[in-house]
Amino acid sequence: MVLGLLMAITAGSLVSLQNIFNSKVNVYVGSWTTTTLVLGLGALASFMIGFIFEGKSMFNLSNMEIWYWFSGLIGIGVVTCLVQAIKRLGSTYAISIAMTSQLGFALLLDSFGWLGLEKVPFTPKQLIGVLVIVGGIIVFKLGKRKEHHSSKAS
Amino acid sequence: MKGSLFAFLGGAFITFQGVANSRISQDIGTWKTATITQSIGFLMAFLILLLIRNRNWRQFKQVKPLYLTGGTFGAIVVFSNIVAIHHIGVTLTIAALLIAQLSLTFIIDSKGWFGGVEQKMELPQFIGIGMMVIGVLIMKF
Repeated sequence: MVLGLLMAITAGSLVSLQNIFNSKVNVYVGSWTTTTLVLGLGALASFMIGFIFEGKSMFNLSNMEIWYWFSGLIGIGVVTCLVQAIKRLGSTYAISIAMTSQLGFALLLDSFGWLGLEKVPFTPKQLIGVLVIVGGIIVFKLGKRKEHHSSKAS
Repeated sequence: MKGSLFAFLGGAFITFQGVANSRISQDIGTWKTATITQSIGFLMAFLILLLIRNRNWRQFKQVKPLYLTGGTFGAIVVFSNIVAIHHIGVTLTIAALLIAQLSLTFIIDSKGWFGGVEQKMELPQFIGIGMMVIGVLIMKF
């Protein structure tokens, strides 16, 4: 339980940093060049860490199913959809909707145990929890924020 | 309307990607999963890049080198996401991930780090994060 939470928090913190870094790259080279760079580096780093820990077994592809090769394309769907959504709605609304959808589908996938996941039985408590979290996202994203003009400009 | 649909699908894809990765990792291991999914994504993005017109490689020089390294975090993100889903399920993983993501972005914004415009901490953001934590507690206890 604690390990799982720590891992999720690590992932979330790195996603936050990555979004900030990527958006700086995005300004100059556009979203597909940025995506290519980001996924290329991610693959390279994964391979190097894997090779350090697992050595030559990184080259063994005997347990691959055909569809495993295609799961990487989902990431392309993510980028395409988010870029289009942000262009049309602005990032505040687009990200609020995307995060809500992320949680909704998470609950759905847990409840049905699709893709061989361990089923997490659906309870009203879980639905209420998710609704409160979604409420939190909306308050966070739509709440007014003032820019602080006194110090360093970007 | 179309924008909302894109956002909705984008969010769904993020969750499906995480779940697919954690399924695949059961057969081939976590690091291989992270390597393969990101390699295929890289190839596809590169293909799209070759097909579209507006490529501006030269502009890379304008970006601070530090910001170009963000992609490497992807290795740890995919790894942690898979381990978390195996341990605590998809919903709790995504909830904790989003809380961490929003909180850190909030802290970075309010300090004006990484050259951003300093944005004051306001009550709605505190309440929002508080509600998200309460939501997790409701789910778990």
